[in-house]
Amino acid sequence: MIANLLIGLREGLEAALVVGILVAYLVKLQRRDVLPRLWLGVGGAVAVSLGLGALLTFGAYGLSFEAQELIGGSLSIVATALVTWMIFWMLRTARTLGSTLRHDVDSNLGGAGWGLVLVAFLAVGREGIETALFLWAAVQATGETTLPLLGASIGIIIAVALGWLIYRGVVRINLGKFFAWTGFFLIIVAAGVLAYGVHDLQEAGVLPGLHSLAFDVSGAIPPGSWYGTLLKGTINFSPATTWLQAIVWLAYTIPVIALFIRVIRRQHPKPTVSATAEAPALTSQGA
Amino acid sequence: MSQRPIVRTFTLATAAALASLALSGCVPNTGADAGATTVDVKSSATECLVSTASAPSGSVVFAVTNTGDEETEFYLLGEDGKRVVGEVEHIGPGTSRDLAVTVPAGQYFTVCKPGMSGDGVGRTAFTVTK
Repeated sequence: MIANLLIGLREGLEAALVVGILVAYLVKLQRRDVLPRLWLGVGGAVAVSLGLGALLTFGAYGLSFEAQELIGGSLSIVATALVTWMIFWMLRTARTLGSTLRHDVDSNLGGAGWGLVLVAFLAVGREGIETALFLWAAVQATGETTLPLLGASIGIIIAVALGWLIYRGVVRINLGKFFAWTGFFLIIVAAGVLAYGVHDLQEAGVLPGLHSLAFDVSGAIPPGSWYGTLLKGTINFSPATTWLQAIVWLAYTIPVIALFIRVIRRQHPKPTVSATAEAPALTSQGA
Repeated sequence: MSQRPIVRTFTLATAAALASLALSGCVPNTGADAGATTVDVKSSATECLVSTASAPSGSVVFAVTNTGDEETEFYLLGEDGKRVVGEVEHIGPGTSRDLAVTVPAGQYFTVCKPGMSGDGVGRTAFTVTK
């Protein structure tokens, strides 16, 4: 049961953390009105994943190995691009929030609000189909044993609980630091997702170098251990990383973090917006 | 409002990619295709028992059951023992999952990877006949 629990935890964790940060972000901006849309994205991704997973498990047709890897790989790369866009968009919004042009923030969020919904949809849906296939396999096994389903469900519930804790934690951070901290965290998450996508494409044979490992620390960090699970589930750390994965990870992380630091430095170091953000003017808007 | 085109492009590109993959990537499940050969695989901590060592070319479905107590993976490798022809991951203890592949005649290897690390266990030659 523990192994199934760890799979559920690993598959659900990253999505739960990203959604937790998105919710905290909207609450920080006093934009709770966008939350229903966000939950629509999350719910939609869960429904699509479970539906497709059931169709592929119980229906006449399954998904070929290549298609599965290609979907996983390309969705990961799309998700990385979207999360990167979101990190910088969040920073820009944070900056305009401090100025008098609050009306612009309002109208901007109208369009980009849907962008956030798409981020939530992809964060959940990216691994959603794979997780659904795993869940339905556990359901199929219930004729003989219910332990796999029980374990998987508990794992996913723990992941959701951790996402909620992250939300509770970051929502308390002062607004200026909030974007810096969540931004750094999301960049590392996005880099991991990108490297994961590269590995999927390597397995599918689309990209070369599946067997050229940069490092293999599986002995010290077994993928099946609880800490291996947490590292994989949060930042997509793979104990056996290929050279191509490592290079892509660095080629993404270094320039993006450098750019991120530059953008933060250009802003006023001490934004005093946390008080003004409470102004009722922000809460009225038309999507 | 300037964000909308970006969002729309992403949505369209993703939807188009998924639709084309869904159309091209479908393979028959166990029992759904009379022409497919089903091969049972039992993956334990130390073994990777494959019910038969050969199958005719075409659709082959490996029904992999995890009899161990760690998460496992099953691979069908090419003649060089490295190229991944097919793989199924996330097989929790006590569950079964299918790997459906369409394979031409040739020499292959089957291997399980309980614990998801290392070279795997029970590497066995598998022949696909004409």
